[in-house]
Amino acid sequence: MRGQFLLALRYLTRRKQRLVLTTLAIIFGVAVLFGMNAMLPGVMTAFRHTMVTAAGKVDLSVSSLSNNPFDQSALEQLKDIPGISVSTGILQRNVLLPASLGGTANPLTGSAAIVLNGIDVESATRVRKYQVDSGRFLETSDEKGVVLGYSLAKRMGLEPGDGLTLPSSQGSVDLTVVGILSQFTSSTVDEAYVTLPTAQQILLLPGRITNIDLLLDSGADKALVSRAILAKLGSDFKMGAVEVGNELEDMLALGQNVMWLFGIMALITAGFIIFNTFRTIVAERRRDLGMLRAVGASKKTVMGIILTESFLQGVIGTALGLVLGYLLALGLLKSLAPMVQSYMRITLGMPVITPTNLVASILLGIGFTVGSAYLPARSAMRVTPLEALRPETLAVEHKQRTRRALIGLVLVLVSIPALLLGELKLASLAMLAFLVGLVMLLPVVVKPVADTFGRLVSLIYAREGSLARGNLKRQPGRAAITASAMMMGLAVTIAMIGMVTSVFDGFLKYLDKSLGSDYLMMPSSLVLGGGNLGSDPKFAASIAAVDGIRGVTSLRLAASQADGASLQVIGIDPQEYPLIAGLEFSKGDETSAYQALADERAIVVNGIFSSANSVKVGDVLNLQTAEGVKAYRVAGIAMDYLNAKLATGYISQANMEKDFHVTSDVLIMADREPGADAAQVDADLKDVAAQFPAFTLIDSAGFKAEQENVFNSAKSMMYALVLMLAIPGLIAMANTLGINVIERKREIGTLRAVGSTRRQVKRMFFAESLLLSALGTLVGILVGLFLSYYMLKALILSGFKLNFFFPGLGILVAIVVGLAFGILAAMIPARQAANTVIVEALRYE
Amino acid sequence: MAIIEVQNLSKVYGAGDTAVSALDGVNLSIDAGKFVAVMGPSGCGKSTLLHLIGGLDHPTAGKVRIEGQDIAAMKDEQLTELRRRKMGFIFQFFNLIPVLSAAENAALPLLLDGVKPASANAKALEWLEKNKLADRAAHRPDELSGGQQQRVAISRAMVSDPVIILADEPTGNLDTHSSDEIASALRSLVTDWGRTVLMVTHDPRIAAYADRIIFLKDGKIVDDTLMTGEASDNARRLKEKVESL
Repeated sequence: MRGQFLLALRYLTRRKQRLVLTTLAIIFGVAVLFGMNAMLPGVMTAFRHTMVTAAGKVDLSVSSLSNNPFDQSALEQLKDIPGISVSTGILQRNVLLPASLGGTANPLTGSAAIVLNGIDVESATRVRKYQVDSGRFLETSDEKGVVLGYSLAKRMGLEPGDGLTLPSSQGSVDLTVVGILSQFTSSTVDEAYVTLPTAQQILLLPGRITNIDLLLDSGADKALVSRAILAKLGSDFKMGAVEVGNELEDMLALGQNVMWLFGIMALITAGFIIFNTFRTIVAERRRDLGMLRAVGASKKTVMGIILTESFLQGVIGTALGLVLGYLLALGLLKSLAPMVQSYMRITLGMPVITPTNLVASILLGIGFTVGSAYLPARSAMRVTPLEALRPETLAVEHKQRTRRALIGLVLVLVSIPALLLGELKLASLAMLAFLVGLVMLLPVVVKPVADTFGRLVSLIYAREGSLARGNLKRQPGRAAITASAMMMGLAVTIAMIGMVTSVFDGFLKYLDKSLGSDYLMMPSSLVLGGGNLGSDPKFAASIAAVDGIRGVTSLRLAASQADGASLQVIGIDPQEYPLIAGLEFSKGDETSAYQALADERAIVVNGIFSSANSVKVGDVLNLQTAEGVKAYRVAGIAMDYLNAKLATGYISQANMEKDFHVTSDVLIMADREPGADAAQVDADLKDVAAQFPAFTLIDSAGFKAEQENVFNSAKSMMYALVLMLAIPGLIAMANTLGINVIERKREIGTLRAVGSTRRQVKRMFFAESLLLSALGTLVGILVGLFLSYYMLKALILSGFKLNFFFPGLGILVAIVVGLAFGILAAMIPARQAANTVIVEALRYE
Repeated sequence: MAIIEVQNLSKVYGAGDTAVSALDGVNLSIDAGKFVAVMGPSGCGKSTLLHLIGGLDHPTAGKVRIEGQDIAAMKDEQLTELRRRKMGFIFQFFNLIPVLSAAENAALPLLLDGVKPASANAKALEWLEKNKLADRAAHRPDELSGGQQQRVAISRAMVSDPVIILADEPTGNLDTHSSDEIASALRSLVTDWGRTVLMVTHDPRIAAYADRIIFLKDGKIVDDTLMTGEASDNARRLKEKVESL
């Protein structure tokens, strides 16, 4: 063991250039995997902070299973339960305070949302202690009084006696600060306390509460009391506070899968590079390995030396990759921050390192490195003491290559129809089979590719081109592995560029359809559930009353669970909505779906929800509502732009009122009469909107233009990411060429001795590099097309309606990148080869 | 008592029309504590004989006994242990590990055997000192001359106290002065340390240091001579014999 470690360490530290090149590959792989997965939780944490409810300092809390408000008469049912000392009903909701009313982001949570608590003053003060620093606490008679949390009051510069205007369902409400809570009892979120009736009026939820907080008798058994409460109230309730943001889980899962996919692809590329390096190491060290066996090293010891070396490299590369990954996540979050702040009123924080991500990145980083070195280590083990003193026979290698190539060809041929015809899982297997098959075919492809492209290269490098061609054909295995590493990077480049084009085109179509109205009354946050305050239907009515407005429709919002899966429920008017906006249907007939929404308890779900929960048209979903569990028939699968990323279901506003008791609007769309005076209509609408500061009047054309800008910034971010994935391909090329210089030192010395100039040696290496990159680019394009189609198919099967765009731009970019890599990768090795000292090279062993 | 015994040993490479018989029914017995040289023209099978005796290769037919044990029938792990503990190898091109120091190279067989590094290094330094290389212990092979590298190889061969030293053209890559140094060193392993040395060489001057010379031609032993008299006379006689064969 010690001998293995000593040898491994010495070999690593004495071959610095190779160590750097190989370790770079691991660093990149781990950085992408770790960084991407540290970025997503950071976004989620910031988002969840806008939804988080204040931590209760009570014994028990009860809320509805669907996280919706419920009737306050539930309190009466708890009166006779033994063990309960005091119970109080609270109406608690997040309300986004717009900048026009003095709203700013809480530096700790990054959110501009206030937690509005409506309390029954008499019972609430018996359940909890509210310590006030200045002024006084609420009294039952305080209709327009408000008590603020310490941090909110401080940030807004408010004192007792000052006025505070909050958005409300009727527009806005003017309140007077009566007291400010003590710094030590306030929570980190921004909170405001009003009387329960006041809150119910602001939020348009008469007679409703969201939580029941309970103080138990001293010595009461919490578990026993909890069971008694749930038995009394029924299965529509749960112990614990309202949970929000769960509908984001499906989106998070999809996002995480994409991030893991990126990371794994980066590591696979690194794996190719490491495999190549160790295969060459074993070939280079045949004499050393044979000698070790001769002096008594066992086969396992020899294998152990190679694996130990790879393990040490894996540790170094993974450690550095974690650091780089964190910096990558930090950089990406900073670049996303302006967009998120603008559209969701959320300030993004730092990357979040979860134990799962850290452990998985370490295991995968080291695992891929050691795993990639495994086969070369096994072949090292098979070096006999005597074989090391004799040259390798070509005949055996040829036989292995042919057999492997045949298997590869079969895999490639079988995978193409499987991709085109199959469902998602089969398509995934097809993708894998195509990749593996191509890698197995590559060594056989080297010769014809070298001959074909060699003619082109010879146009530039007339004399050196044929030497370069011969070098490549002599080492088809190594050329194939190098090309495979390049292939991964370029394939992703092509696929991503193709994907972005298709998605961009698709979402623009959605935009047109979903936001087809002339005007939008947009809430503070683009994520409808993100603390937006709904408006009284009178707001929509006053918009409809404006001269020149032809039609008005709105979206309403509730939270639910369908058979255990979280779901955001949007209420639409099935008659008006398709006339002004509309959903993009991927399954089910549009006309009959809207009719079903109007006639029965029917629901249209979006692709995110249907693919995550395997829901089809005709299925019945059991929705958790304020009126208990209700069965809704799935009438179609469709989506709209605003809610594309969240698990969403659309029902009629009539059913939403009946089952969820929601009548407030969170988004209003309006169409102008053709021929109406646009300027006058704009002005009139602005006057109406001014009464509802929670909403912003937006001209749809302007909004779409803004969204196009958003896409453009997102595209730039994607290109940066894609470039990162292509870089290991460059490393692979440089690595291979570097190894060639070392291995062919004697040959280079001979060339120089017989009259080749330094310039000619350099040009030979450039020619070889260009041929290698031609091979890598060719297979990269093939795989890129395949991958592009596969990724699009995955999105389509997830319910997005998108067209396949041939990634012409992507292919062009790949060719340019491939050529550039061909030149860049050869620069240092070519110079090293040209500077070889002839006599030293001829003595080289 | 014979420490090495070879019975009817044959080695054929290839098959059918391309088969080459490197060794053809060789019988040989070598006593302990002797210095034996094997000579012959290129392709006569001398290196093949050495490799088979050292367990580096398997015979096509016949037996090889080391201290009475038939090594031809041994499994790879047993052979490996035999090489590690009972034999020492010296190669023409030194075959030192380029990334290890002289001391680390010399200690290698012990480290591979699981001996603690401190003890292994101490033993290695002992042998380096005997070979007048104590001051070069920390240097890597590329910082040593050919003769020095071969002396490190000798130290490596001796560090595990083997009973047999097998040397394959140990002076093939050295100048005259260094060759004599190495030949003397091998001689002293027999005279001062009582080991058995089996050396393959094409140089009569170096072979003259041995007690006994075995001549091979076309895979067969054609002559077996004991060396008596002065080294220079032996060298001259050997040269004549080689030319006659």
